[in-house]
Amino acid sequence: MNTDQRNPGTDNIAGRGQASGDSRPMGIGQAFREIRNGIVVMWWGFFDWVAVVSWKALLLVSFLGLILVGGIFKLPTFTSLVIVSAFIIKVVAGGKRRAERAADEATKRAETEQLERTVLEARMEALQAQIEPHFLFNTLGSIDQLIQTDPPRASRMQQSLIRYLRSAMPQMRDGSRPTLGQQVNLCSAFLEIMGMRMEGRLQPVLIVPEGLKSAIFPSMMLQTLVENAIKHGLEPKPEGGKLEIAAEIADGRLAVHVSDTGVGFMPKGEAGVGLANIRERLKVLYNGRAELIITVLPAGGTCATITVPYQVAPATPPA
Amino acid sequence: MQPQPAPTAVVADDERLMRDQIISRLKDAWPELVIVGEAGNGREAVAMVQGLEPDIVFLDISMPEMNGIDAARALAGRVHVVFVTAHDEYAISAFEHGAVDYLLKPSEPERVALTCQRLRERLSQKPDPMSGLLAQLSQRLGAGGVKPREYLRWVQASVGAAIRMIPTGEILFFRAEDKYTRVQTQRFEALIRKPIKELIDELDPDEFWQIHRSTVVRVDAIEQVSRNLRGNQVVHVKGSDEKLEVSRSFNHLFKQM
Repeated sequence: MNTDQRNPGTDNIAGRGQASGDSRPMGIGQAFREIRNGIVVMWWGFFDWVAVVSWKALLLVSFLGLILVGGIFKLPTFTSLVIVSAFIIKVVAGGKRRAERAADEATKRAETEQLERTVLEARMEALQAQIEPHFLFNTLGSIDQLIQTDPPRASRMQQSLIRYLRSAMPQMRDGSRPTLGQQVNLCSAFLEIMGMRMEGRLQPVLIVPEGLKSAIFPSMMLQTLVENAIKHGLEPKPEGGKLEIAAEIADGRLAVHVSDTGVGFMPKGEAGVGLANIRERLKVLYNGRAELIITVLPAGGTCATITVPYQVAPATPPA
Repeated sequence: MQPQPAPTAVVADDERLMRDQIISRLKDAWPELVIVGEAGNGREAVAMVQGLEPDIVFLDISMPEMNGIDAARALAGRVHVVFVTAHDEYAISAFEHGAVDYLLKPSEPERVALTCQRLRERLSQKPDPMSGLLAQLSQRLGAGGVKPREYLRWVQASVGAAIRMIPTGEILFFRAEDKYTRVQTQRFEALIRKPIKELIDELDPDEFWQIHRSTVVRVDAIEQVSRNLRGNQVVHVKGSDEKLEVSRSFNHLFKQM
């Protein structure tokens, strides 16, 4: 109604003279449309209610309706028509409608859960992806020294550092699901750097079949295991030792091992933050279908194994 | 007047490149200083200083065998110490107010020159015993000194032929069985030789409770406590069907709030 009164004014301002005559029939049309929309909404509301309400409640409401509307307003035919159609709707559409609504709700809940999982995983991944300042400063120091004494090696080390930083910084990753190949690549950059710094005290060995590099494997977990093996296994040992990364398929699952010949695992102390993070992330990502196992090697040293369901990353289309 | 003997130093760092760097910086800043030895770990550094008796030792803080702080403690009062570190926030704040100097890796030539300047002035004096600083450092870095009590965070147990490290957070309960103690997790069970009596001393009392002579349960794994037909309390654990009886002497653990 408001629009009708205001229309002439606004038309004048806009300078559209011809509109003032049309405004009344347009308003009636609009009102009809609104009433129709209202009826449609009411009808679907009624429909939903009938479909979901229990038979007992429906019978009670019908009975009351028959007395009130049919008796007091003297509209028994209309009321019984409504009641009969309500019963037909209930019989025909009840189950389906209810199932649809339950499915809708379940989907919404699943979407929220999925979103929560994604957020949680992103947060924990960021935590895991933190680059150790110690590592960065010591590496920069080594490069600085090599620039004076052995520039080609300095350049190689710097390139490894760039390769490492590119894949280790979360904001530098491209968002696609990480593959084992990418993770091994990141670790090999790290091992090249540590190998140059620790010299003979670190002997890295990589046994990862080419065919497994396309398998999906969570980011930064392998890196944490490798860092642990160096920091807690090999660095505390004056003569150092071997660090081996190996991957295999066992019982349809992908198992990735990081083993070292270092000083062995300390059952006390707080060395386990990175490992606890891996465990939590595996739980969130795979819901109990993945695990991290730490074993003590008979010859001394430690082996950490991450087992995840074997999935191959979809081939990336050429950019 | 007698000519002063040339000052001498030992440099200790587990990475050769870092030793090389400090040595080349020192050469520029203090050409008269003679580097008489290089050590790859704390123990070597201590032996070298005791054998060669240099005026100065440059000690990396994180080294295998013995860290820089423990090495400094062993050498306190014998030699002038300069600590070298890449990034130890706690250590740096401890040095800021101390009488002992430090260098950051990678080191800037101007900073090394300043350290050399200070060392030249200090050489005529007796080396600082560093007692206050070392105590502070060990406390902050958790090295040596009085440590807070450490509890088991991992249990080493045999699963089949392998020896596994099981994080205590995954263990539901321990139960004494004949000669062994059974370690139960949600996924598997493992055996250890350590009896419950010894185990309980090593476990964090906030994490694990003994509820029976032969049973220790992880508190967070407890789902509910009920009573069985004989009126005894029984603990139900998340992820296991086994019901664990609480003996009378441990009833107080589950008193009504």
